[in-house]
Amino acid sequence: MSDETLPQPSESPEAPAGPYIYDYAASPQRQVVMPKTVPLPSLRTYEAEVKAAVAADEAKWQKMLADFETAKAKAEAEGKEAPKPPVRPVPRKDDNDLKTPWPQEAKDDDLHRLQERLGGKVEEIFEQAGELTCQVSKEAILEALQLCRQDIALNYEMLADQTATHYPAATGFAFSVVYHLTSISRRKRLRLRILVPEEFSPESACAVYPSANWMEREIYDMLGIRFANHPDMTRILCPEDWEGHPLRKDYPVVGWGQRDIAFREDRGGMLERIALQKAGQLGINLKQPKAE
Amino acid sequence: MFKNEEMEINLGPQHPSTHGVLRVKLRLDGETITHCRPMIGYLHRGVEKICENQTFFQGQVWTDRMDYCSAVANNLGWAEANEKLFGITVPRRAQYIRTMLNEFNRLASHLIWLATHALDIGAMTVFLYAFREREDILDMNEAFCGSRLTTTAFRIGGLREDLPPGFEKLVKKFLAKFPSCIEEYENLLNENRIWKKRTIGVAKLSAEDAIALGITGPVLRAAGVPYDIRKAFPYAAYAEMNFDVPTRTEADTYARYLVRMDEMRQSARIIQQCMDGMPEGPVMAKLPKILKAEVNEVYHATEAPKGEIGYYLVGEKGSGNPYRFHVRAPGFINLQALPKMAEGGLIADIVAAIGTLDIVLGEIDR
Repeated sequence: MSDETLPQPSESPEAPAGPYIYDYAASPQRQVVMPKTVPLPSLRTYEAEVKAAVAADEAKWQKMLADFETAKAKAEAEGKEAPKPPVRPVPRKDDNDLKTPWPQEAKDDDLHRLQERLGGKVEEIFEQAGELTCQVSKEAILEALQLCRQDIALNYEMLADQTATHYPAATGFAFSVVYHLTSISRRKRLRLRILVPEEFSPESACAVYPSANWMEREIYDMLGIRFANHPDMTRILCPEDWEGHPLRKDYPVVGWGQRDIAFREDRGGMLERIALQKAGQLGINLKQPKAE
Repeated sequence: MFKNEEMEINLGPQHPSTHGVLRVKLRLDGETITHCRPMIGYLHRGVEKICENQTFFQGQVWTDRMDYCSAVANNLGWAEANEKLFGITVPRRAQYIRTMLNEFNRLASHLIWLATHALDIGAMTVFLYAFREREDILDMNEAFCGSRLTTTAFRIGGLREDLPPGFEKLVKKFLAKFPSCIEEYENLLNENRIWKKRTIGVAKLSAEDAIALGITGPVLRAAGVPYDIRKAFPYAAYAEMNFDVPTRTEADTYARYLVRMDEMRQSARIIQQCMDGMPEGPVMAKLPKILKAEVNEVYHATEAPKGEIGYYLVGEKGSGNPYRFHVRAPGFINLQALPKMAEGGLIADIVAAIGTLDIVLGEIDR
């Protein structure tokens, strides 16, 4: 390392050049790859996708037929041998034990009862992988939870789990919050789901299910969704002064600080240079005295 | 001279009875607890975030390190949640082996609970007895998968390998002596006057409160609610097993102790049935080399020794990583009941309350 590349200690110690600022956002290791799709399971989306896939398949087949006709006509005109007729491709069959669970029409009575009682507040009901999902509008979640708790025919006594997922690529909402309810007496499980946009405070479930207390604190801590009327909306796992919400998709995996510079890449003495620069700004001379 | 004011003290984070780094903020009126607030997060490693950035297969090693006393139970829940997400049917032999290992793990976890809980309250001898049997179970873990504590025992779709030769002999030897071992522990504690004084009527939690707070596992069953996921929503090979769900109605620390002791007997029964009815066949389903998910979300709950452990996974189309990986840790939810159990009691009893909840901070903080 030559002396010219090193930042020199400032001459006037009474005027430090302010706190050292390293552009962390530009660090190559902090570049976050944002998701491009919205993997929100839904029967409506699935049906639309299947329809589009079938239509695309049919269009491809029609194009192949048309191409064949033109090729045939061309060959006939030129007096050559006719080309082979096309064969419709069959989807390849895999020889394995995978059987992907696709969303299906809701058949369960509980889902129909919820739809009947809540009416237009239910946005979607479907079943997938043997699990019942009921998506309600975000304003009606407390009503839906109360219904599940108090209705004799539903009687979901326990809120087993509550969590949220960040969907940055979605339009109209940013998070899905899911409530997994268990009915101990009826041996059933149900998932309630709401879609909430950024800066929206859904009603807290604590009034109906006290077990939501810590789970909602965790959601706030990890994803930054504030719940309205929660008795104690504070962070639970991270320290109180933590910046950001780690389970958001735009939160980088590597931490703040010097871990940004991999030691393997530090052959040029980057860390040392930063330390010297920082010390220089504070008016401290860290440089070793040169041997005479 | 004597001031009548409340004192605020911290229990932990560095306290031997907190089983890790749990900090409990207490307000005391003399020796009575008037306010109790558990503070957690000292062991937070961001397991969920890490697992979202790794492939489906790689998540398993992190489940080992959540509740390190019951790694196999965590692995089982993880494996089954993934199988539900992809729609995989696991061969029957693999289901039986999984069930057996899971029950061994329940024994190991209950033994370590018994040992440390008794030690916290002041019974030293049980600690040595319980660790003696736990050692045999860890040896079996080692024989099966090479590691003793962080097992990484299963794979998505079944098992990596079949049982090693001679495993049956180990199991038989263990089962032959284990019932008498339980009697040994019970001889030491059941009629022990100090043990009874420190546990009977201590840290009560009624069934209504327990259900409202989402408590599962032995704590709920000791309040009289016969909710066991192995029976209510059978998974692995539990539908084919014949076992009882022990319950008590006293809802205190002593009842929870008795429930766990009975559970150990039932576990031994299940292991015996697994050994007797072990089917032949493959232990791994036929799977493609790389698993790519479709858009799907699953919540799969299994009965870990401490309660309901649930995995919530969201799959993204064509992606090899889970889009969302969430763990419903039993300890995290169960610890919510600590203020309810401790407030109004004596400060010496909060140690019993923490012990009886059977918490492991590695899973609470994740």
